Amino acid sequence: RLSISSDIISTVEFNHTGELLATGDKGGRVVIFQREPESKNEPYNQGEYNVYSTFQSHEPEFDYLKSLEIEEKINKIKWLPQQNAAHSLLSTNDKTIKLWKVTERDKRPEGYNLKDEEGKLKDLSTVTSLQVPVLKPMDLMVEVTPRRIFANGHTYHVNSISVNSDCETYMSADDLRINLWHLAITDRSFNIVDIKPANMEDLTEVITASEFHPHHCNLFVYSSSKGSLRLCDMRASALCDKHSKLFEEPEDPSNRSFFSEIISSVSDVKFSHSGRYMLTRDYLTVKVWDLNMETKPIETYQVHDYLRSKLCSLYENDCIFDKFECAWNGSDSVIMTGAYNNFFRMFDRNTKRDVTLEASRESSKPRAILKPRRVCVGGKRRKDDISVDSLDFTKKILHTAWHPTENIIAIAATNNLYIFQDKVNSEMH
Amino acid sequence: MLAKGVKRPHGEMEGGDLEPRDPGAAPASSLFNISMVKLHQSLRHVEPNLRHLVLVANTLRRMQDQMQREAGGPMAPDSPEALSVVDSPAPVSDLRDSGLEPCRQPPSDSQGDDLLLSSMDSSISTILEDLGQVEVLSPTRPEEEQPLAGASGARQEPARTSAPCLGPLELLSSASYLLEDGLEDIFEDIDTSMYDCDLWSPTSLSGFKAFSSAEDSDSKALAGAEDRLDMSDLDYLMDVLVGGHAL
Repeated sequence: RLSISSDIISTVEFNHTGELLATGDKGGRVVIFQREPESKNEPYNQGEYNVYSTFQSHEPEFDYLKSLEIEEKINKIKWLPQQNAAHSLLSTNDKTIKLWKVTERDKRPEGYNLKDEEGKLKDLSTVTSLQVPVLKPMDLMVEVTPRRIFANGHTYHVNSISVNSDCETYMSADDLRINLWHLAITDRSFNIVDIKPANMEDLTEVITASEFHPHHCNLFVYSSSKGSLRLCDMRASALCDKHSKLFEEPEDPSNRSFFSEIISSVSDVKFSHSGRYMLTRDYLTVKVWDLNMETKPIETYQVHDYLRSKLCSLYENDCIFDKFECAWNGSDSVIMTGAYNNFFRMFDRNTKRDVTLEASRESSKPRAILKPRRVCVGGKRRKDDISVDSLDFTKKILHTAWHPTENIIAIAATNNLYIFQDKVNSEMH
Repeated sequence: MLAKGVKRPHGEMEGGDLEPRDPGAAPASSLFNISMVKLHQSLRHVEPNLRHLVLVANTLRRMQDQMQREAGGPMAPDSPEALSVVDSPAPVSDLRDSGLEPCRQPPSDSQGDDLLLSSMDSSISTILEDLGQVEVLSPTRPEEEQPLAGASGARQEPARTSAPCLGPLELLSSASYLLEDGLEDIFEDIDTSMYDCDLWSPTSLSGFKAFSSAEDSDSKALAGAEDRLDMSDLDYLMDVLVGGHAL
């Protein structure tokens, strides 16, 4: 099952129940998909995701003072936990975060006394009795309205937003600063991390991602371009420049190169659902960290180690700077991340088995089973293997998301969205 | 407004590199050149991708350190600090792949090293010099406050790099992107007198005389009767506007 959007998808996010899936694209649009309820009448439509709503979240803006255009590309979307019939989400581009409210209207009042069906005032002489307006069903209408606009909070480019478990605050992080906002207050925010040096020429490190702890509303983590993670406690001090914990793995001396730092730069960090672990993605690996151990990750998985000998070319063509995301499954037993050639990888933490799958039109006819793929690096080559040199580096899977409870994954491959479902849920390779 | 970074075109950069270059000289120099190009391209943007910029600059520093160590230090290509441009495990195939040779220098090339290093140093220092001449909007202003409430707290000590400071990053302090306040200063000396002239007052535009006088009388009527602006006044206004249109 796939759907095509006309623009490059830049973010994918399930809501907390998995009923809704939001995608943002380079054109500033957000498309929300809704899962069809399973019904016995149409067993083949069980659990399919269909377009629920599309809206323009951000428009390109021109900053006249700096003479530059602010891109409308949606960098991140985060859903708020649902508190009433409406759904709310935060979407952000490089500079401005917006809170959107998604509501359904499937009934409308009919039988007004003073107005007719078109809303025109009735001739009062024709009104001889009073009636009580009643709600009648109508075709479902999904309305999306902007409720808050959190502007002017960031000088640099926003790379992450994260809603706090308190459901009242959220944070937004740019290259050098992290701000804490109250969801109801748009004219001010609280700066909680600032790594900007006094002299910009001393700048050697930037913030690459950040996230609130899923349960402890005072804890958050942020990752850096040098590959370190800092866990901060907002109770400790107002400005969280001093981390509570610093997670950093020492450089492997046997693998040192000019590119060591670049490939160690963390592109994504995600807390596990349990809150006990963190998952990080750097250029060649995904790592699982235990919050209780700062010295090194407890697990490291090679995503595409065959690229290690190609770093020079990947540096030249800038691919080495690609920022891949990573995801946990609902039970924190499997982790997933994207790679090149429209491949994505899954690692089972329990069985230590991993698989490479491809998101492409050919492999995703409805109900088709995804076939595991293999990249060969010389030596024996099996049929259907792809050689490293024929990998397409323009086909990158940067954005992936996993349903919060079920084995359903959403994969963004450039401008195509793929949603894969594992019906036989024991088959986690 | 501000200069946007590169003053020196790429061709001149190449010129800074040495002509009488030993063909067996450190190939890290080509990687160095690639990095310099990337850095300059990055700085060309008004709002450079900071992550990209920082990573490239740090990589350049590493290369510079490496080269200086090799030139100045003992000829110990096998020392742990020696970084190979091409990574393990299959250097030979990678050489073909990337067209680069291993970084390690035989002792006899020390002179070539020195020459290369000094040429690089001169490249960097010319960039430094160049950037120093870039107009700085508010050079003396101590950094921020950002527009929003910030908590007081100790500022982090900026990490000092041991290598000579890689100049290009100096530009960051003067790029408008990175200034938060002090933008008001830009406009202090703008002469706004042209906006005060009478040309723009409605009564001086003859063609609009009738319209404006009707509006004036209307506005007086409205001012006096604010509280009871009713349908008849609005209708009259509409008539006037539509009538004015016909002019």
